[in-house]
Amino acid sequence: MDTQKHYSAVILGGGIAGISTALELARLGHDVALVEKTPFFGGRAALFCCKATDVCQKCGACLVDERLKALFQEPRITLLSAAELTEVCREDGLFRLRLKQQPQVISPERCVNCGLCLEECPAADQGAIVTTTITQNHPRYAVNLAACLYFKDGSCQVCAQICPPTARAIDLSRAEQTLELTADAVIVATGYRPSDPQARPHYGYGRLPHLITGIELEERLRNRGLKGADGKPRRIAFIQCVGSRDQQHPYCSQVCCAYTLRLARLLKHRLPDAEVATFYMDLQNIGRDAAQFKTAAAREIKLCRALPGDLKVNPDGGLSLRYIEEDSGRPVDAAFDLVVLAVGITPGGDNPALADLLQAKLTPEGFFQSADPRHRSQTSQPGLFLAGTAEGPRDIAGCIAQATAAARQVSQYVKRP
Amino acid sequence: MTIAQPLEIILAHGPELTAGGLDYYQLGLWAAGLPNSRILSLNPQLPATELEARLRAFLHHGLEHPILMVALDPYRRSQSIIRVLLDRLGVNPEVLTVLDLQEAMGYQDPRSCNLKAHHLIRLAGSIITRANPITSQELSVSTRVLVWGDSFAAMKAAADLARLGYQVIHAMPHPFLKPLIPCGKSTQVPTEDLEDLVRQMEHPAIQPLTEAHLVQVEGSAGNFRVRLQTPEGLREEAVGAMILAPEMRLETSVPLGGPASHPRVISHTRLEAILASPEEADRLFAPVDARVRVALQGGDSNPLALRRALGTAAQLLTWYDLQVFMFVRDAKVGAPDMEAILEESLASGLIVFKLPQFPSLSIKDDLPRLTFFDPVMHGEETMTCDFVVLDEAHQPAPDNDAVSEILGLFPGPGGFLQGDNVRNLPVITNRRGVYVAGPGRGAMDLDQAFFEADAAVSEVHQLLGQGLARAPKGRAVVDRGRCVLCLTCHRLCPHGAVSWDNRAIINELACQGCGVCASQCPNDAIQIRNFTDDQVVAAFETLDPRLTPKIIAFMCKNSAWEAYQAALKMPDTSLPLGFTPLRMPCAGKIDIDYLLKAFTHGADAVLVLACHPDNCKSQQGNLHAQWRVDRARELLADAGVDPQRLVFKTLAANSPQDFLAAVSSLTELLGVLKAA
Repeated sequence: MDTQKHYSAVILGGGIAGISTALELARLGHDVALVEKTPFFGGRAALFCCKATDVCQKCGACLVDERLKALFQEPRITLLSAAELTEVCREDGLFRLRLKQQPQVISPERCVNCGLCLEECPAADQGAIVTTTITQNHPRYAVNLAACLYFKDGSCQVCAQICPPTARAIDLSRAEQTLELTADAVIVATGYRPSDPQARPHYGYGRLPHLITGIELEERLRNRGLKGADGKPRRIAFIQCVGSRDQQHPYCSQVCCAYTLRLARLLKHRLPDAEVATFYMDLQNIGRDAAQFKTAAAREIKLCRALPGDLKVNPDGGLSLRYIEEDSGRPVDAAFDLVVLAVGITPGGDNPALADLLQAKLTPEGFFQSADPRHRSQTSQPGLFLAGTAEGPRDIAGCIAQATAAARQVSQYVKRP
Repeated sequence: MTIAQPLEIILAHGPELTAGGLDYYQLGLWAAGLPNSRILSLNPQLPATELEARLRAFLHHGLEHPILMVALDPYRRSQSIIRVLLDRLGVNPEVLTVLDLQEAMGYQDPRSCNLKAHHLIRLAGSIITRANPITSQELSVSTRVLVWGDSFAAMKAAADLARLGYQVIHAMPHPFLKPLIPCGKSTQVPTEDLEDLVRQMEHPAIQPLTEAHLVQVEGSAGNFRVRLQTPEGLREEAVGAMILAPEMRLETSVPLGGPASHPRVISHTRLEAILASPEEADRLFAPVDARVRVALQGGDSNPLALRRALGTAAQLLTWYDLQVFMFVRDAKVGAPDMEAILEESLASGLIVFKLPQFPSLSIKDDLPRLTFFDPVMHGEETMTCDFVVLDEAHQPAPDNDAVSEILGLFPGPGGFLQGDNVRNLPVITNRRGVYVAGPGRGAMDLDQAFFEADAAVSEVHQLLGQGLARAPKGRAVVDRGRCVLCLTCHRLCPHGAVSWDNRAIINELACQGCGVCASQCPNDAIQIRNFTDDQVVAAFETLDPRLTPKIIAFMCKNSAWEAYQAALKMPDTSLPLGFTPLRMPCAGKIDIDYLLKAFTHGADAVLVLACHPDNCKSQQGNLHAQWRVDRARELLADAGVDPQRLVFKTLAANSPQDFLAAVSSLTELLGVLKAA
């Protein structure tokens, strides 16, 4: 691993925005480094499911896979996983970055992804060994120092012992590395954090059964299918604006109405007898022909302009809620087997610390501040650029468009006389 | 003979001699025994110089000769060897196949694992030894670019292209630049940066063509011949690429006439004009004796419209002592700052009614009245107003449909350009060299429009370079001896890549290798390399009777193949032993002959996996595949083969579960048929 190297650009964040920017810069002929905090690339969008019914619903989730594949084959992109920024300074316009990289205990050259280390790890429940379902990554297992018993007190070496002798991929003696890089430009593409569903305590997330977030629904549909109160939920409700358009988050997250209705239509397609309803304040535009989408969705999904009150558990084990019906003006009780909270986009947890390191500004909401409303991939600091949801809520299509543009701007900046 | 010419096999593995049920040593011995083949075992962890030396010594047939690299997870674990082959030795990528042995790992007994490995190697060998080394060519292309439209996005694209050294023909239907500031007032003076952008149109490399209309376009990527009608007559321009960013227009959605033609029922544009003229505004909005009531109907088609409406409402409330009401269906706050702006408006006294439908408009006593169902009072309400302001929606340019047709583009939703297929994002169309940005694609604010202009310029620059474009040579080949000039290929090509002299000609810069032409050609005159008919049939010949059930799977590389690769990496995946994977550039490449020949070569079942409708990279390749499967089923039934054995399914690249479900349901079906 090179410890002192110069790149045209260093991109922070290995999600769809970071990956798109990296690929575009490589296409434009630049050598770049893509830094990802976790051991795996793909970000959040790589964990979303395909929402096709009998036609593509244009959610864009499959575009992440396309780009991930290209990412791992592009020689101009240096991939630095399990690496975090610890120091930044600028010298004559150049960025000097210091990164701390977790030891690569599981070697990519030798690992065969058998999964025995995770199976046998005594601290697996605390997350000592992590894995990913984003299959383009290799290896798909990594040791998390924060929870690993060996790194705590040297008491356990089960993974090294259980790793098949033909692989011998685990070396617990590997050490943390400090990487020093220089770059002409830095792009912040560190993404977002889904809003905390417990911010609306009356919904009872964490206390009540059969209550999940939109992100959890995506993960279930992607990996193992649905299990509701009785195996296949018959009555499903989505509740919008959980953690958006409220006191703490006075903005619309822009993606939740779209993902909710696409997920709702997918569920109707898979479970034709199910009743699906969504409770909202204002339905945002979905897709490029919003009127047509809304009409089609309204045919199979009950659209209720009302946000429910408290959720309660029914005697039959399901959930019930109460809302004011728009037509009658009366409160109505409704029962469901599964309730999905549409969580929104909130600023990444690392944003303040990262902004500090980079001398970047944050908006009052906590996202990275762009130069002006017409130049959302630039900041007021020359050489520092933004891509993706780090700058504010946007969907996958929006991230890709912005990342492509950001790459072009970076390229122009780097090539300036 | 499956291995058609000398094949060099590289078996890449580390110091371990076995992996799961696979024994590398035995595998190597077996491969060495294959006719016409040589094998090298190579450890990818060796230093690059050592790898290069060994490979140079081993590969003595030349860099255009078929090479098969076999490994577990080769793109991650043997990337070093691949890089040496491609970068240091300069091997032609078309003759290198990288085979992942992952699939052979998924069986309980070593015998099955090894038989599977043999099958996969024979399969890959039969295909790669019939491959043609596609070379590349440099084509001379025009460095003139047509920018269509007078939006700010079009101007930005034109300015950037001019700076990069291209000659720009900036054509627009209006007599002068008439860009729209998306959520600005019609009376708004552009900010300095936008004024500066307009000034940049004076760049000498930009040639404006006003009052122009597209009449005809010929040619394809790199060399289009565009005919435009201008007031001076018909003009023909040769351009290498085009960026389409025609401006939107604001149009009142309520049909004019009836109550809407009353002088107190005005459009938003008219209201803005009044507010821009203080005398008229004072007269209308500040009469001495009454408090004027203004009702805004709409402004909720998208965040741009809402921002505009709230801006006007704020102006009315600040400058005059009015009652301002707004009737919306859904507040479209899905854009930066919109929630805050809405909150501010409410705080400054705007009263918003949220209704399922707009109120109905009537006139009584010479005043407009709005009748609606009030959700709060829960009853029908009638409100008499002094002024009713009608919604104006952002409509696409009126000639977009004509432009789509002339350019051979798949039309976009709602009258915009660029088809609604996520593969196109952000700015590409079905035709290489034609890009759509900003208001050409949809109603959006300037920040997004500028991103798209940037992306489009980037694409043009990549395509045209300095006047020489790289394209493959020999990927799509027309056999002029067989072509009868029926022009089926020309009509079917989704990318507009086919023209003709006295035989069909495929422009390899515009061709995207989908193969719809090749599979439909009634005389089999077109071959797409390297997915030729020969290669597919050779693949059938590798079916091993010991490996059952024999399921031949045709998988589109853009969806099914990726889902299959992902499925192999999931724990506990075990495909039927006789599963034979065939990678296709697009499901549209699947000739009906392939489907029938698969059965004549002994397949128990054939699985065709394509992208979901509306998700095909070539727009309709999946549809063609579906039609061919339907037709093949009829033919199979006639021939006495149960048509259920031929299955067509759609899936996405990120859905390995769907892939596994398709395979397992087919396997189940075969079990039932066998038992019966």
